[in-house]
Amino acid sequence: MNVATVPTPTRAFAPFLDEIDGTLCVPAESSAADIRDQIGEHPLRFPLILDLHATLEEQVAASAFAPASSRFGPYCDNIMGMNWQLPTGQIVRIGERVVKSTTGYDWFRFLLPTGRRFGQPLDYVIRLRPDCGTTGIFLMNGGAENVARSAGLLLRNSWMHWLDAVDVVALGARRTLRVTVHCPTAEWDIFATYLGAFAAKQGLALEVQPDTAMPADGCPDVVFKTAPEQVHALAGELARTAGVRCVALCYHGVVHAYLPESAERPALVRALVQPHIAGLHALGGDWHSRHLAPPAPSNEEAGWIAILEQAFPLP
Amino acid sequence: MSPPDLELQLRRIITRGRVLVSPAQLAGYAADGLGYKNYPPDAVVIPADAEELAHFMRCAAGLGVPVCLRGAGTSLSGGPVAAQGGVIVHTSGLRSVRTVCPEGFWCEVECGVALNALDDVLKPHGLFYPPDPSSGPVCTLGGNIATNAGGAHCFRYGVTSNYVLGVEVVLLDGRVRRFGGPAGGRGPWREDWKRFMIGSEGTLGAFTRFWLRLLPLPEKVWTFRATYPDLRTVEAAIHALVAHASFPAAIELLDPRGVAMVESSQMACGLPKGSFMLLTEIDGPGVLVDARVSAVAEILRGAGSNDVVFSDEEAMRQKLWKARKAAGGLLGQLSPDYVVQDAVIPKRALAEVLQLVYDESDAAGLRAVNVFHAGDGNLHPNFLFDSRVPGELEKVELISKRLMQRVVEVGGTLSGEHGIGNDKAAYMPMIFGPDEIRLQLAVPAVFNPTHQLNPLKVFTGRRFAA
Repeated sequence: MNVATVPTPTRAFAPFLDEIDGTLCVPAESSAADIRDQIGEHPLRFPLILDLHATLEEQVAASAFAPASSRFGPYCDNIMGMNWQLPTGQIVRIGERVVKSTTGYDWFRFLLPTGRRFGQPLDYVIRLRPDCGTTGIFLMNGGAENVARSAGLLLRNSWMHWLDAVDVVALGARRTLRVTVHCPTAEWDIFATYLGAFAAKQGLALEVQPDTAMPADGCPDVVFKTAPEQVHALAGELARTAGVRCVALCYHGVVHAYLPESAERPALVRALVQPHIAGLHALGGDWHSRHLAPPAPSNEEAGWIAILEQAFPLP
Repeated sequence: MSPPDLELQLRRIITRGRVLVSPAQLAGYAADGLGYKNYPPDAVVIPADAEELAHFMRCAAGLGVPVCLRGAGTSLSGGPVAAQGGVIVHTSGLRSVRTVCPEGFWCEVECGVALNALDDVLKPHGLFYPPDPSSGPVCTLGGNIATNAGGAHCFRYGVTSNYVLGVEVVLLDGRVRRFGGPAGGRGPWREDWKRFMIGSEGTLGAFTRFWLRLLPLPEKVWTFRATYPDLRTVEAAIHALVAHASFPAAIELLDPRGVAMVESSQMACGLPKGSFMLLTEIDGPGVLVDARVSAVAEILRGAGSNDVVFSDEEAMRQKLWKARKAAGGLLGQLSPDYVVQDAVIPKRALAEVLQLVYDESDAAGLRAVNVFHAGDGNLHPNFLFDSRVPGELEKVELISKRLMQRVVEVGGTLSGEHGIGNDKAAYMPMIFGPDEIRLQLAVPAVFNPTHQLNPLKVFTGRRFAA
């Protein structure tokens, strides 16, 4: 195809807030506070916040998932488009500002998690959700087996659609089922009654934190993506390592691992990851750490990347 | 290659499946849901299983003819048709639901499984697969994933790409590659190649099986139907619903021309003449959704409807859905041909773009019926025409082009769930400039550099040169 004959529409996203669609175009360097400022008084929110201080680009690069992914899906389902700067300096629009698209090959979902390997994001179009009124956290403590079973029970019923997050926090032998609810204030008692009865029935000790913020655990040091039925075993094994705190995002089979402050973090990451690589790959899973460069691609994949690079030149 | 030579070759390759070459057999494969455009293939093969499909793909380069993958052929964009001749590969032999893992919320299915057949298997586990295009009884998961299909309940649940954890694909040289799996990650690859596969419209490889994410079935559903006298009031209702804490699962609209079509048919259900019909649904735990019913009804009334009906009883709910579900089938009775567009727009432009559809179709003397996914801003204007009448098709194409131009101007896109196929390929330069088109074409350059797979689709310049 002779691309020179094709007209050149300039369709890069300009900053906007569409309060009807619930979409917002923000710089990739925006923090959670910046996003809240942009939303202003509109009753909308962006629930996928991993870290209160990191930029959105840093959060997306750190993990594809946040706790609220349980209800709303990964970042790639909550960011719809972006202005992307190619290594050559050109800025192209990738993706859309509308929620559905089958218009060509999905470069958006391919590029979003790639960090800066193929250029860099400048702006994101994010999908906002109605701010219903109040957020609360239900912490349910118990033995590892009981907490894992209870998380499964909670996810396998109709309530899971209405819980912002169903996570298990693991540190050593301690386990906490952490359930986050965001609902109209008038419905709080309905949720509290259900979750209170659930905790009692499962023999879990309940602590309720009403009217609080979404949990923001920070950008993880290592992310493991496995199948959901494997997530508790994996988190449990990782949490046995001294000082490693794990947050298992149960529905998506994601484990966010937080390591103790140490100059030896890269070595610790390698030690944590190595025993699990083959098992993760067999399930179509993977791992990722912001402290390590991604593994080199195979020869076959390197060939594919090289072909892409002809259209998308790297520096 | 002459037809007898092609048939001979195909019968050597496909020994356990079927090879179809008679004109009567091929006629059923000449078109998809866009029945007015016919592209008879030179042959059709139906591999017995994934192994035979992979063997066929290994031999495909030697055949030197275009290859087009096809599921049930319900596409509405001219996707699974032999636009440049060649062989259609019908994947009906691959229809096994291999695994359901209720603990992991995933299943493994072959590409030829019909959508509703999967849900029949999932239901006893208390699970469902959310995308629900209206062709569900027959459309295949392979076709759904090739077009990133949507459906009525995607407003809350999302589209196909939100639910695909992994794809197994046979590349043109017969290599079988798996991108993702039950865990839904990258697997051993550095990059997430499955993202390109979803919505690739049969242009990158032959899908064999998928790993799909599942959700627990909602305990209870309330369906609401309301009618409105004009665009302004129905638009207000849509805007209020999308912002409401009840997060409706579906927000569907049938315009007055659609209402008239239903009411003048045997499917009439007493809708007021000249009204817009809005259908919405909330679901979840009984105690929660029951508490939301009056608020949703109040939104519908507050926007200007004095005709709001709602129910949580299955029989009544089906009655409320009746007009919406009947509309698609009735279009075919009104006119020999119709084109359905699939644009997605920001919802603030809903009334304006609908008015453009009416103005343009009225000026051209064509009928247009709108039945669509209003919550997503996913328009489906159906232009009714007779392709045997000289000039009618050209009028439809001109209106479609003007519509798409306006859609792009208001910030929308060409297709939300049907795909581009060959029907909308000419509009792609409205969306993509030269840099973006170069990026787009880099993807088939990786997996299908000769464009042997499904040529003349998605981008008009994708032509196979043997």
